[in-house]
Formats: sequence, C-alpha cells, structure tokens
Amino acid sequence: MAIIKTERTAAIAPPLSETTALGWMRKHLFSSVFNSLLTIVTLFIIYITVKELWVWGIADAVWVADNRRGCFDINVDGACWAGVIAWLDSIFYGRYPREELWRINLGLFLLVIWMVPLWLPRVKAKISIGLTTVFLYPFLAGYLFSGGDKSISMQIMVTAAIVCLAANTVHSIIGVLTGRSLPEFLIRLFGKKNAPEKSQRYLLLGILAVSLVAVYMFQMGWNVENVSWTRWGGLFLTLVISGIGIASALPGGILLALGRRSKMPVVRVISTSFIELFRSVPLITVLFMATTMFPLFLPEGFILNKLVQVIIAVCLFNACYLAEIVRGGLQTIPRGQFEAGHTIGLGYWQTISLIILPQALKHMIPNIVGNFIGLLKDTTLVSIIGLFDVLGMLRSISKDLPWLGLHKEPLVFGAMMFFLICFAMSKYSRHLEVKLSTGHKH
Amino acid sequence: MKLSTLLTLVLALAVMTAPVSASAAGKTLDIVKKRGNLRCQVGTPSGGFYNLDAKGNWYGLDVAVCQAVAAAIFGDKNKLEIQSVSSQARFTALANGESDLLCRTATWTMSRDTQLGLDFLTPDFYDGQGFTVPKNSGITSALQLKGAKVCVTSGTTSELNLTDFSRVNNLHIDIVTFEDWNVRDDTYLKGGCDAVTGDKSSMAANIASFPKPADHMILPETISKEPLGPAVRHGDNEWSDIVRWSVFAMINAEELGVTSANVDKMRASSKNVDVRRMLGVEGNLNEGLGLSKDWAYNIIKQVGNYSEIYEQYIGSGKGALGIQRKGTLNELWSNGGLMYSPPMR
Repeated sequence: MAIIKTERTAAIAPPLSETTALGWMRKHLFSSVFNSLLTIVTLFIIYITVKELWVWGIADAVWVADNRRGCFDINVDGACWAGVIAWLDSIFYGRYPREELWRINLGLFLLVIWMVPLWLPRVKAKISIGLTTVFLYPFLAGYLFSGGDKSISMQIMVTAAIVCLAANTVHSIIGVLTGRSLPEFLIRLFGKKNAPEKSQRYLLLGILAVSLVAVYMFQMGWNVENVSWTRWGGLFLTLVISGIGIASALPGGILLALGRRSKMPVVRVISTSFIELFRSVPLITVLFMATTMFPLFLPEGFILNKLVQVIIAVCLFNACYLAEIVRGGLQTIPRGQFEAGHTIGLGYWQTISLIILPQALKHMIPNIVGNFIGLLKDTTLVSIIGLFDVLGMLRSISKDLPWLGLHKEPLVFGAMMFFLICFAMSKYSRHLEVKLSTGHKH
Repeated sequence: MKLSTLLTLVLALAVMTAPVSASAAGKTLDIVKKRGNLRCQVGTPSGGFYNLDAKGNWYGLDVAVCQAVAAAIFGDKNKLEIQSVSSQARFTALANGESDLLCRTATWTMSRDTQLGLDFLTPDFYDGQGFTVPKNSGITSALQLKGAKVCVTSGTTSELNLTDFSRVNNLHIDIVTFEDWNVRDDTYLKGGCDAVTGDKSSMAANIASFPKPADHMILPETISKEPLGPAVRHGDNEWSDIVRWSVFAMINAEELGVTSANVDKMRASSKNVDVRRMLGVEGNLNEGLGLSKDWAYNIIKQVGNYSEIYEQYIGSGKGALGIQRKGTLNELWSNGGLMYSPPMR
C-alpha cells in the first residue's frame, strides 16, 4: 500500500478577503464601524486636498505667458507656471553664463560615467573606482566649472583625472563584455600572457606613462573661460556644496570618531572639543562667522572666496555630526572583534579598516544617509548669506519685475525637486542596506 | 606618540599664524583699481531697485548707481561685482571690507550714519511710508485705521514707524508682522488684515502685481521719510567723493539735458560751458577725484542720466515698476522735487 499520494490534492481557493478587491477593502478599511468612519473621513480629506491641488496646479494653471499679468489675464485662480518655466535655467544653473552651461552638463555627465561602473555587476576593482571618484573627479569638475588658467599642479591633477576617467571607462566596458579587468586585457592584447610578472608590470607602467604624457600635451592646449564663483548658483551650487560636504564628511567623521576614542590624550581632547564646539552651534551661526566675522581678521582688500569659506564650514559642521554617528556605530562592535584582530597580528589601522569599520558602517547606513539628506536641505541656508543657491533663485523669481509677487509656484516646484532628490537618496540607502545585510537578516 | 607631537606642532603653528590684526586701512580707490572691479553691495532682490532677471543679470535703480561708479572709475560699467547680502549682515559686510560700496534701499537715518561707522552720501531715491487698503473698505485716510489690523514686514523701519504712528495718533493699531512681503500681501489679499504698510514705491509695485489692481489704493498720508542712497565706510573721504559725485553727475546731466543718446554730440559740439566742464572738455574737475577726464562722460554714455535710469526701472519704461515721477520728491528741484546737484565747476 502506498503511503505517498501520487496525485496532488486539489488546492483550496484562498479566502475571498485575500483575492478580491472588495474583500481586501472589507478586511483593511471597513473592519469595524470606527475603522469605516476613519476611512471615510480620511478619504474625504484626501479628496479635498488632491482636488484643490489639481485644480490650482494643473486644471486652472497657466503654462505659457509673458509675465504674471499675462497669467492673470488667462486665469486668476490657477498657478502661473510660466514664470517658473521662464526661470528654469536660473533655477538649475544660477547666474552661470548661458553660453557656458554645457560645462556644467558635461561635468555632471562625466560624474555619471565615472560612477556607473560601481553598479555594474561584472566590473572589478570597484573600491578603486569609488576612491578615484572622490579624489580625482573634483579636480576635473572643478576646472571645468571655474575655468581660467591652470596652475602646474592643477594641470597634473586634470591630466591624472582624464587618464583615470578613460581607464575607468575602458575598464568597465571590457569588464561588462569579458569579465576581465583592464590590466589583464592589455596584457593579453600585447601577447604577454605568459611573460614574467616583471615584464607585465613594465608594459602596464609604460602604457600609463605614454597616456599620461599624451593627455598632458593635449590638456595644455585646452582652456575654458574663467567663470567667477559669484556666478555659480541654483541647483548646481546646492549640489556642489552638498556634494563636497557629503564626500568629505564621511572620512572626516570617521577620523574624528576614531580620534575621540583614541587612547592618546591630545588627539582625544582635540577631537572631542572640536566635535562638541561645532555640534553645539547652529549651522547658520557657523556660516555667518565664516563669511562675515572671519574677514575682519584679514588684511583689508584681501580677496575672499565666500564659496570656499562656506564649503569648509559645511564640511567641518557635518564631519562633527557624522563623527558621533560613526562613534555610535563603532560602539555596537563587541570588544572581542578588536581583540581578535590584534591576536591575528593586525595593527590598529588594519583592524579598524578591515574588521571594525566594514561591520560598523553597515549598521550606520540609515543614520548616515539621514544626515546626508539633512545636509542637502541645510545647504539652503547659504541663501541667507547671499549665495544664490536653488532656494535663493526660487525666491528671486517673485522680485523679478515681470513676475513680481510670484512666490508660491517656485516654492512648490522647489519642494518637488527636493522631494525627488531626497527620496532617491533614501531609496538608495534602503537598497544598500538590503544588499549589505547578507548574513544579518533577522 | 609621534602623531600627538605632530598635532601639537600644527596647533601651535595655527595659533601663531592666525589673526595678525586688521591691517592699516588702504585707500579704497587704490584697492578697487588694483582688484580691477568694484564690489557693490545690494540686498536680496527687491523689485525695481535690484533684481535678477531670468538670465541671471542684475538690474534696477541701485544697480545702475553701482554701474555708474564702476563706469566713473574704470570707464566700463561691467567691471562690477554685485554682492547680495542679507539685511542682517549688510553693515558688517561693508565694515569688514567685503563690499566697497553699499547701494541698496537702506534708509539714511542719523543713528546709522553716526553709530555704524558708515557714511550715507546722497539720496538717489526719496521714499515714504504709506498704507494700502481695499477700495471698497471706505477708508480714505490713515487716521481712520483705528483698531485696524495692519500687516507689515518685520525688522524694517516700517514696523517702527507704524508703532510710532499708532501711538501718536492713539489708533491702537493691531500690528501683524511677516518675514516675507509675499506672504504679507497674500494675507492681505485673503482678508487677513485691513491694510498693508510699507514704502509707497514698493507698495505701488505690489498693487500692480495683484490679481485686480483696481480694487486697491494707497492712502494719501505719508508717515515717514525714507531717503535711500549709497553708503560707504566712514573715513575715506576721497572714496565718498567719487561715489557722491557719480550720483550728482547723473542728476546734473538730467538738468543739463545730456542723455546717453546725445552725450557724444554734446561733447563734440556743445557751447554750454557747464556741459563742457562736466564732460571733461574744459577744466580739470576730474583731478580732485583722481579719475580720468571722461569719468562723467562714461557714466552718462554707459548708464544714462538720472531721468533715464528712473524711467527704465522705476518709472514708466517697459517692464518698470510704473511709479509716476511727476509730483514726487524724486523730481528735479526745478520741477519741485528734491533732486538737486551742487554745481559742477
């Protein structure tokens, strides 16, 4: 007699509440009299808000007009998006000369090219790619954005950045196609696959040297017009300030956090007082100090770059906040991990970078990204000290004579823009968490 | 241990090299010439006086004054960096040398002139505070505002003047303050206050931007004096002369009938000795200022005379604020206004 059934038992249909929309609604929205009441009230509130917004922002809105009076002539009650549209360039690029906008676009495009390999599964050496993004890209972008004559050191950095970008791109294309890295590919290309390691290395160094020299020659003849930082603005400026802030706050924060936990008294005291000083002062105060008080100590007529002052202030301020987040993360790692690191012969920096930080950073992702989102939004404070970041630009629309008084639409537009950027960051952090949490799923 | 020694060293170095002391005051004109551009401070954009347009360029009456000074010094009105500074930081930014010149709608008051280490030079616009009310409210005089709710932007002289006006006339006005005048006007339009108060010029412009301008009016009373004009740091008199006479040159040019359109012809063929002196054909007026002979010519050629800049930004020009000049204090003295330039001779 067979114990195992050979036929499958017919499946029982799931309860109605799980399959039909009606059932779902009954279960989740109308399970009791009170819940039904809540549902109806909430739906009503949503209905009024959405309807009002729809009527104001879409149905009655004016999209094409020469000035605000023109909007009023078409529809007095609707939104006047024509003003925002006329100002789009200013909102995104600030006062950057209009014929030079391609430089900002190119800079952004290069950043994307540089970073895309980080998401491609078959590409190797992602850490180096990430590091070059942080350390070399800023030079290339910095020159692209500000232009003018290059100093020798700038020429070298720009050359290095261009070579690195080219290598990165070729490396990623090869990686995607063949799964190999660039050096492996080059060695095969020159038929040195079985040559001794030394000759392989010489070949690679040779190629590197040749390309560096070639690019250096090329970039000597490449110059773009100088654009003063005072013309930077809009979303571009916001992204520059917060981008540099984000890129430097994490390393700075890690160093400060390690400093604060250090056994060396001088380092500890300096780190602690630095952190506490900056954390106990509001950002706007730091910005005011950096831009209006600091020049009082400098010789008269000294050329000051307000943008650099602001960026330094933002970096220091956020490094201090991140330091405390990192310190919190470090404390979640049991002592045993440090001791285990030491027993297998790792030094302090090796233990930290190979054992402790990889584990700790994983726990800190939500906090760190939360801080970055905060930083992005905090940068709008620079509009108070006279830099025309995206908020400054949005607010200027209402003072431009053709659009006098147009202030709601730009702010709504700005809110949507910020939401998009912040939401994307938050989604990405969620994705990172899931990706990195292998073995930690509870 | 090595690291801590290094850090101590770095700190000691930082303390040693840090603030050396504010240096000896240089001559502003020399600094400006050496730098190659004029740093002129305005505020966050304000309709008609200093605005950004959609292409990112500054324009407005105060910007024109900045351009005039740049044209006088360099012969090129574009050798100018406009700095936009919030009103909280405006006087500090002038005092610490960040700005060479402040040209924004800052009211010339005695305490500012005498206590803040700055000098107001000559007004380029006379404003006064007034009230806007809906026409159908039946109010025809500010004295009828007893117990009314009046909206005002905070931190301005308007707020203080309103308090004084209410107290002196025993009106018990209920003052509602706003940070941003856009919100102030929105509140007014939605019926949140019975009247709005502010400088009459900007209120006229704001009314023009209301959905139905014809429903609102400005009451006849002017409750304050608001002379607006450029200011510089106290103590550099050569520099104040340059700024002051740049403004006077524009007023004088209007009086003499010299405009940006006819200035070339006037310079070549005018027989009027005043015109010839001003444009540098005769005499040596420029020497006292340390500028080139054609300083006033450059101002008028590149920026225009006072009437031109007024009409272009404030008056009836295309896209301007639309505030009538006739009958106001901003008319030339010969037409009953206050615009008066001492003789240029």
